[in-house]
Amino acid sequence: MATISIADLAVSYSGNRVIDGLDLQIAAGSFYTLLGPSGCGKTTLLRTLAGFLPVERGRIRFGDRDVTALPAHRRDIGMVFQDYALFPDKTVYDNVAYGLRARAQDEATIRLRVGEYLDRVGLGGLAARHPAALSGGQRQRVALARALVIQPQVLLMDEPLSNLDAKLRVQVRETIADLQREAGITTVFVTHDQEEALALSDRIGLMRQGRIEQNASPQDIYRLPASAYVADFVGAANVLAVEAVTPDAAGDGVTVTLAGRRIIARVPRRLSGGAVLLIARPEDLRLARCGATANAVSGAIVRKQYLGGRTSYRVRCAADGAGIAGPDVMVELHGAGHNDWDEGAAVDVLFDPQASIVTAS
Amino acid sequence: MTGAWQVRSIWFWLSIAVVVILAVFLLYPLVNVLASSFGGARAEGRSGWQVLLVEPRYLKAVANTVTLGLIVTLTCTLVGVPLAYIAARHSFPGKVLIAILPLTTLIVPEVIAAQTWLMMLGNNGLLTRTLAGWGIALPSFYGWFGLITVMTFIYYTYVYIGTLAAIRGFDVQLEEAARSLGTSPARSRWQVMVPVVLPSILASALLVFTLVVGNFAVATILGHKVDLLSVITYQTFVSEVGADPVMQSTLASVSIGIVAVVLFIQRFVLARGRFEITLGRGARPEPLRGASAWALALAAGFVVVISLLPLVTVMAGAFTRARGPVMRWGEWTTANLERVLINAPDPILNTLLFAGIATVASLIFSTGVSYLIVKKRSALTPVIDYLSSLPLALSGTVIGIGLVMSFNTGWLALTGTSAIIVLAYLIRRLPFGIRNASSTLYNVPNSIEEASISLGVPPGRSFLKVVLPLMIPSVAAAGVLVWTTTVAELSASVVVYSGGRETLPIQIFRLIDSGLMAQASAYGIVLVAIILIPIIVATTVFKLDIFGAR
Repeated sequence: MATISIADLAVSYSGNRVIDGLDLQIAAGSFYTLLGPSGCGKTTLLRTLAGFLPVERGRIRFGDRDVTALPAHRRDIGMVFQDYALFPDKTVYDNVAYGLRARAQDEATIRLRVGEYLDRVGLGGLAARHPAALSGGQRQRVALARALVIQPQVLLMDEPLSNLDAKLRVQVRETIADLQREAGITTVFVTHDQEEALALSDRIGLMRQGRIEQNASPQDIYRLPASAYVADFVGAANVLAVEAVTPDAAGDGVTVTLAGRRIIARVPRRLSGGAVLLIARPEDLRLARCGATANAVSGAIVRKQYLGGRTSYRVRCAADGAGIAGPDVMVELHGAGHNDWDEGAAVDVLFDPQASIVTAS
Repeated sequence: MTGAWQVRSIWFWLSIAVVVILAVFLLYPLVNVLASSFGGARAEGRSGWQVLLVEPRYLKAVANTVTLGLIVTLTCTLVGVPLAYIAARHSFPGKVLIAILPLTTLIVPEVIAAQTWLMMLGNNGLLTRTLAGWGIALPSFYGWFGLITVMTFIYYTYVYIGTLAAIRGFDVQLEEAARSLGTSPARSRWQVMVPVVLPSILASALLVFTLVVGNFAVATILGHKVDLLSVITYQTFVSEVGADPVMQSTLASVSIGIVAVVLFIQRFVLARGRFEITLGRGARPEPLRGASAWALALAAGFVVVISLLPLVTVMAGAFTRARGPVMRWGEWTTANLERVLINAPDPILNTLLFAGIATVASLIFSTGVSYLIVKKRSALTPVIDYLSSLPLALSGTVIGIGLVMSFNTGWLALTGTSAIIVLAYLIRRLPFGIRNASSTLYNVPNSIEEASISLGVPPGRSFLKVVLPLMIPSVAAAGVLVWTTTVAELSASVVVYSGGRETLPIQIFRLIDSGLMAQASAYGIVLVAIILIPIIVATTVFKLDIFGAR
C-alpha cells in the first residue's frame, strides 16, 4: 500500500506533449479512477505510472520510493490490460504463476498462492485451461488474479472492462471492487465509462486535454461539477447560459434569469462575475401545469420519449421579454405519472434550488 | 534525463548493429555497382553509360528484356486471373488438384523447369522429335517461343495466388448489396468486385514483371538467340577475355533502374487503389454442372498438368539411359542416380552445407530484425525496414556482382570462399525470412510483453519467455520457405561461386549447358527431394501453415 505522488509531470507521446505540468496525490489504499474521453491523456498517464512511457519532466513517487527513472519491471506494479494480455501459450495456472516465478518463489508457495487467487476470482477449476478456452469475463478474471497474486504496491488497470458485454461488465466490476477492498492496494483505474467510474471509485480524476479538470469524490463529481465539461461528461446535464442577477453574499445561493424568469440556484465555487452557466440534471427537474410557479420557466413540450421506467421530455422555453427564443431543456420524469404529459402541452419546468448549480462559463 | 534508460536500451544497440550489417553487406555492394558504372575504366575513357547508348547490342538487350517482361506479365495474368476466379467462386470435378498449384513454383526450381521444357521441346526434345516424325515442325524453342512459354508457366502462380487471396477476402455482402440495388449478378460482380481486387492483380502482375527482368536461369538456358539484360550482364562478368567491370555495373544498374521504376509504379497503384477492405464473408463456391463444368475442369486440369510436367519429366529423365547428350527414352537405368549420389555427391553436400548455414543464420537475423521492425519502433526502424526489403528489388545477378566487387580484396576478402556463397544466399532471401517471421508478430499484442514486464521480468527476458514461444511456428514456417528457396538459388550463387564449390542448381545449370540432361535430371530429383521433404515434414508432422504465411 502506497501513496502515489505525481509532481509537475510532463509526458510526450509520438511527438505531442500529452501531459504538461500535472500534479496529483492518490491516497494509499484508495481506488482512484482516471475518467475522460479518448485522447484526454488518461492512458498515457497510466502507462507513465507503469513505466512504459518515459517522463520528460517531473517526479513520480510510490510511497517513499522515487520511481521516476525506474524501469517498469522494477516498479512493483500489477497491471490489467484492456485486451487481457494473457500469455496464449501458457495455461491459466502458468499465467497466474508467472510473476511469482519471476520473484523466484518456491513451487509450493506458488501452488498455494495461485490456488488462493484463482479461488478468489472464482476460477478454481480452470487452472489447466489455456486462455483460448475461456470466455472474455473469465480471461479478465485470470488477468486480475495474475496482477494481484504478486501483491503489488500499486495496481494499474487500463479499461479492463471495455471488451466485455454489458452484463459481464457488471459482474467483473463487482469482482474488482471486492478484491481491491480486501487487498487494500492503491489502485489507478482508467475508463471512459462514467458509470464504472461512479460505481467503483473512492475518487475520480476527470481528465481533459492532459489536465485533471476535477479531482473529487464520485458524489461531488456528479452533484457539484466544477465545469460544464464535467457536468456534460458525467451523466446528462442541461447547461444553460444565464445572467447572474443577485450574487447572494450571505449563503451559497444566487438568483439568475433564464428565459425572462428568475431561478434560485447554488454556487459551490466563487464566481468572478460576468456570464455564468446554470447546470441542472434532467432528473432533478419537474414539470407542472403552466402557471405562475416559483423557480420555474415556462415552455412547451416539443418531444417525448417513453423509456420504460422513465420518460424523457424536451421542453422549448418561451421567449423572454425581448423576444429572444428560449433554450431547450431536457426533463426526465420517474415514478407515478411519468408518462402523463403529452407533446405540445404548455408546461412549467421547475428547478430544484438545491440541485441546480451555477458556475463560471 | 529520465528518458535515458530507454534510449540506451539493448534494442537501440541491436538496431544500430543491424543497420551496420545491412549497410556493409547490402548497401555498400549496391553503391559499388551503381558508382562504378560511371567510371571510365575502358581505354577510350568513356563511361559505361556512354557505351550503353552507342552499342546496339546493349540497347537491344534492354528492349528485349522489357518486351519479354511485358509479354510474360500479360500471359501470366491471362492464365492466373481466370484460374483464381474459377477456384474461388466455383466448384467442379477435380478442383482439389488446383490447390497444389501454389506448391509447384516452390518445389520446381527455375533451372529444372527450363531443363525439363528443353527435354520435351528442345532441338533433341522428346515432343520435338515425335512431332517431327509425324511431319510437324515446331518453331525453335530457343528464343521467344521458349522464353515466353516457360516463364509463363513458372510465374503465373504468383498472379494466381495474389488474385485468389483478393477474391477470397472480398466480402460478398458488397456484391449482394449491389444486387439489392438492382444490378444483375454479372454486372454487380464487374462493378463491385473488380475494382476491389484490381490492385491485388496489378501488384502481382508487376511482381511477375520484376521476376522476369531478374530471371537468369530460363533466360540463359533458352535465350541463346535473344539478348537479355541478365544474360549479357552475367556474360560481361564471366567473360575470360573481356571481363568488363564497368559494363557489368552499367548493365546491372539498368536492371536495378527498370525494377525501381516498376516498384515506383506499384507504390503509386497501391496508394491510389488501397480500399479499406473489411474482411467479410467469402463467397460460397457455386457448383458447376454440365458441359461448362467439364470444360472448366479440362482447362484447369490442363494448366495443372503443364505445371506438374517438369516434375514428371525430371523423374523420367533421371532414370533414363543416356549416351552423352542423347536420351534413350524407354530404356530405364539407375546409373545416373548412382553416379550423382556415389561418385559425385559434392554438389549435394555443398548445397546442404551452404543452405543449412544460410537458413539458420537467416532465421536468427530475420527473427531479430522483424522484432525490431514490428515491436521496437525507433528512428532507425524505417531505415531497417527499407534496407531489409531492398533485395526484393535486386536480381540475384546484381547481388552477386555487387558482393564480388566489394569483397574481392581489402579488409574483408571473401571472393573464392564458401562464405560469399552463404552471404549471397542470406542477402537474397532476407526479405523472405523477415516477412514470414514478422507475420505473427503483428498479431502478438504489445500488451503481452508489457504484462510480463509489469510482473517483474526485465524486457530482454520478457521477449525470450513470452514473445519468442509465440513466434516459433511462423519462424519454423519461414525456415522451411527460406530453405526451399535457398537450395534452389542460382543467379547470385553462380556469380560468386568458385571451382569445387558448385551447388546443385549450379551443377545442373552446367550440365544443361553441356547437354547432359540425364545427369542433370538425376541431380534434379535430389534437389526436388531436398526441397520437398522439409515441406512434407513441416505440413504433416508439425502441422505448419507454410502457405498461409506466404
